[in-house]
Amino acid sequence: MTYIRTVLATMVIALAALIAQPAAAGTLKNLERERAMLIETLLSSDLTPEERQKRVDLSRARLIDLERMVLRDKSLTGRNTPLVRAAFDNYDLTFLVHASVEKSRTLLDHWLAEIGVSTQSLMNTTSGRR
Amino acid sequence: MTRQTTFKLKPPKRALALILAGVLCGTSLTPMAAVAKTGSVATWNPAASEQLIKLPPHYLKKSIDNDFSKSGLAAVLIEKEDQAGLKRQTLTDLQAASERAQGELRTELQHQFLAEKQAYIQIMNEHQDLRRRQAKTKIRLYEKLLRKMERNRGAMTPQRAQLVEKQNEARSRFETSRAAVDTKLFRSTMATESRYAQEYAKNLSAIENLVAAIRSHPMSATTEIDGQAVSKPEYLRRLVAEAEADLAVIDQEHTILGYMAKLVSLDALALSENFTETADVQDALMAAKPERGLTADVDFFVSR
Repeated sequence: MTYIRTVLATMVIALAALIAQPAAAGTLKNLERERAMLIETLLSSDLTPEERQKRVDLSRARLIDLERMVLRDKSLTGRNTPLVRAAFDNYDLTFLVHASVEKSRTLLDHWLAEIGVSTQSLMNTTSGRR
Repeated sequence: MTRQTTFKLKPPKRALALILAGVLCGTSLTPMAAVAKTGSVATWNPAASEQLIKLPPHYLKKSIDNDFSKSGLAAVLIEKEDQAGLKRQTLTDLQAASERAQGELRTELQHQFLAEKQAYIQIMNEHQDLRRRQAKTKIRLYEKLLRKMERNRGAMTPQRAQLVEKQNEARSRFETSRAAVDTKLFRSTMATESRYAQEYAKNLSAIENLVAAIRSHPMSATTEIDGQAVSKPEYLRRLVAEAEADLAVIDQEHTILGYMAKLVSLDALALSENFTETADVQDALMAAKPERGLTADVDFFVSR
């Protein structure tokens, strides 16, 4: 009887430890990596429009999952690190795909708008010597 | 020879004096004496671990009680309880025998009764000390757990609170826009859902079923005190209060034990007085016998 009790108590403690085990917070790093690759693709002048579109589609599909993984990652809750703080400071820039679809804008338009570059501001620019 | 036998039956003065001294010393009932006797083995050092904090409140108490039952302190406490039970039985037997007995045997039994009372008080003193240690350790443990819980909650700095708020906002924004985003992304562009999305949707229903089962499980029911649901810190505070109440009761029992000791010392004193008086009368009779004779009384008759 005592043995069974001991085994049960050990089980409860072990399972409690299992429940409490935090998940690895690598989701945000993966998202940042993929987002950087997407922006690089968007700005790359070496690619043809078709190649760019193909790469953007691939990146977008991956980003949808990655953005959702980050939003559902409970280990990031309250994790007060510069990376996490910066990620949640601006939803529109971090969760690029979701925010762009939400606002019915293309990825590039959305990104440029969020960093403060609009068609109007581009049209107002002039070229000259520095 | 006869005198020697008589002396054996009578309560020796020295023994009574020892009882008196012992009981008088015991009246102060210093717990340190008990500590010195049982301190080496009677220990219980529970750790306020994170695992303990994560346990459901009612299981937390059970776990602590279980840990105590395995400790050296519990073993010694049980041993003392057994000793006290046996001593109580001896006292009952002696009291009954003493009431039935007469003469020297009665005095002898009274003397034994007093000696057993003294031993009983000593055992109960040690028992109380062990119980006090158990209650104090419990209070220390509960307070440590409470402090840890408060620390975890108190770690919420303004910056962290702001971050959590932003995270909640992001999640609620995502949840409200998710359906619209799915429609736009997957239905209109003929794109297929990823393996992650499919697996997640499948697992989500399983998770929901499990969460529902956990909520309805009797062991995960909210802890209730007097029919009211209480939080874990509140439950721990109640446990601290209970342990403090135990401690107060032990202190009161200690006072009772002090009065018992005083009564035993007074009984011992009374018995010692009786014995001295009887001995004095006997000694006086023995001493007067050879000197006092008829010759001395002759004078009463001769003189006018």
